[in-house]
Amino acid sequence: MMSNNIASQQRLAQDLIRKPGRSRLESGRIGLVYILPWIIGFLFFKLYPFASSLYYSFTDMHLFNGISKTGLFNYVDVFTNRATVRSLETTFRYVITTVPLKLVAALFIAYILNFKIKGVNLFRTAYYVPSILGGSVAIAVLWRALFRNDGLINSLLSTLGVQGPSWLSDPNYALIIISLLRIWQFGSAMVIFLAALKGVPEELYEASTIDGAGKWRQFTKITLPLISPVIFYNLVTQTVQAFQEFNGPFIITKGGPLNSTRLITMIIYDQGIKNYKIGLSSAIAWVMFVIMMLLTLLAFWSQKRWVYYSDETQRGGL
Amino acid sequence: MKKTLAIVLALVMLLSVGAALAQSTVTFSWWGGDARHEATQKAVEAFMAKNPDITVVPEYSAWSGWEDKMGQRFASNSAPDVNQINWNWITAFSADGSKFVDLNTLSDIIDLSQFSKTGLDACTVAGKLQGIPVSMTGRILYWNQSTYEKAGLAVPTSYAELLAAGPIFQEKLGEDYYPLVLGTYDRAILMVYYLESVFGKDWVVDNKLNYTAEEIQKGFEFIAEMEANHVIPTMQKLTGDGADSLDKNVNWMEGKYAGIFEWDSAAGKFQKALNEGQTFVVGDYFRDFGEFQGGFAKVSMAFAISETAADKVAAAKLINFLLNDEEGIEILESQRGIPLSKKAFDYASGNNLLDPIVSEANAKVLSWVNYNLDPKFESNELKAEETGVYAEAMNSLSYGVVDVAGATEILMEGINRVLGE
Repeated sequence: MMSNNIASQQRLAQDLIRKPGRSRLESGRIGLVYILPWIIGFLFFKLYPFASSLYYSFTDMHLFNGISKTGLFNYVDVFTNRATVRSLETTFRYVITTVPLKLVAALFIAYILNFKIKGVNLFRTAYYVPSILGGSVAIAVLWRALFRNDGLINSLLSTLGVQGPSWLSDPNYALIIISLLRIWQFGSAMVIFLAALKGVPEELYEASTIDGAGKWRQFTKITLPLISPVIFYNLVTQTVQAFQEFNGPFIITKGGPLNSTRLITMIIYDQGIKNYKIGLSSAIAWVMFVIMMLLTLLAFWSQKRWVYYSDETQRGGL
Repeated sequence: MKKTLAIVLALVMLLSVGAALAQSTVTFSWWGGDARHEATQKAVEAFMAKNPDITVVPEYSAWSGWEDKMGQRFASNSAPDVNQINWNWITAFSADGSKFVDLNTLSDIIDLSQFSKTGLDACTVAGKLQGIPVSMTGRILYWNQSTYEKAGLAVPTSYAELLAAGPIFQEKLGEDYYPLVLGTYDRAILMVYYLESVFGKDWVVDNKLNYTAEEIQKGFEFIAEMEANHVIPTMQKLTGDGADSLDKNVNWMEGKYAGIFEWDSAAGKFQKALNEGQTFVVGDYFRDFGEFQGGFAKVSMAFAISETAADKVAAAKLINFLLNDEEGIEILESQRGIPLSKKAFDYASGNNLLDPIVSEANAKVLSWVNYNLDPKFESNELKAEETGVYAEAMNSLSYGVVDVAGATEILMEGINRVLGE
């Protein structure tokens, strides 16, 4: 019995040696079968919508009226329509405000939580929780309740004798309130920073301490350069996510007051889903995509000036 | 034995298949509040008991987000068979008549003689009767009488009285009290009612705005005058309240906002929202706006059958049950407003099934209003909260970003763009 098994295994091995091309082809086919569900999903749910939206962006595709003309008019509209241009400006303001502040908050808290302090695990969990809850409708509703005229924030201020402003209905404050919600969700960036901080070799700090370096100098000359790849990663992902923000302004202010919180994603939603103008909506989405791509390329181009990779072969990838 | 058993099993299977084939399934969608959901579900059960060969599968939700969802479903031809539709959906989704069945072809099942010609005409687009109007509705003023009494005033019956009430509220009750509250869309409708009363003409005629810039400016001056006289809160104050809608606004509940301009069918919602001990009354139209009776009524909602419905006859039976059958009428009462069907109205009013406040408001609306409503008046691009054209014009004026001329420009540009599409 045993000898039979050994013989059959030998035959199989000889077959494999004799027909290497065929076996590779077979294993290739099996591999293809394994990834087929993903390929089908990608083709139908990613590539097809991606390509068709590009096509629609050059048409006046309307959900109920179909297509009657083609051309560049949607792209002209994006850059000439008062509401869309203003929304682009608002989106840039939002991204420029929230991304750096969120990264600073995340790094600051991660830096503190990297010390050996009592109950550190509890603090780490507590600071991470907003990231899980942050995108939810319930938190947005809660945020609105906190900042309304007679909300908790103004009630607290009034106990201190301060008359709180109309946070949600004053165009000067509304975007700040929406931005705060995003900055508050720094948990995921914080966890990544924390992992990076733990990867900084302890001996570097010890050596610099012997050389007389203070905490600030250690932070700027050792910590920051060594975690710069992670800063770069967080910068790119947080920028892309900030451009895609929708839930907060949609639920808290509905884009108001005076369109001061109407981000570009809301215009895409309004034009496509509410006004059925799929062509225009697609064009705005493509403009946003190109902007995000250019900013990402800019970030990649700039990294050679400020991102430090211990192994130079890793440059350009994470 | 085995052979007999096999034959019996085969027969049972055939009978089951036959029964399943004879059974018709109708999907039915509507939006509304809990009371409407409950009543409609009961009506559906009663219908199925009466028509055991038809199974009705309901789909329902609150209004919020419903229009967006249904728009996608009509566009993708995946809408339910019977639908409660907003009046403007006919022109928005089926201007060419492709989405809804011509109900004239089902007149042997749905008793169309119970409906006024005006109502049926309003739902006839592209030569097809695309919906059966359930009720007619219009905007009317409602007052919190208790707050007015607290201010030592009777509820206003004229614009002059309303205007005078502003400073009195401010002085006697405080800065937070206002005789009336209006959101941006309410302001737009009230302004049109005012302008129609002054100039005596429809807002839009033949798909063209029927008012000049000078005339519309008068409307914005009217709105600005109310704000300046503490009659209505500014948009900044109202937005800062942080409420989803006026009936959920704590200032309305507590009586600090003492008046609304709302659909007659919405009376119950606002009345129920008030804290205990407050009296909610239907107001009168103001005669001192101008020499004409401004304002409009519209079909509040309709029932329509999707062209994709598999069993249109069963769908028509359901509609007729809900609108014209005594059993259906008794269950539904005035959950969808005062019924337009003559039979339903007579039966419901004869049996005291109608909400007295809604009945009073509806009677006042229908006996007053004279003008037509253009279906595009309710287009999302115009009426969207915060981001629509009405909101942009009204907010800009209220926040002091533009003057009445600027607000007029925003409004006219937006309306002309939408009408031109």
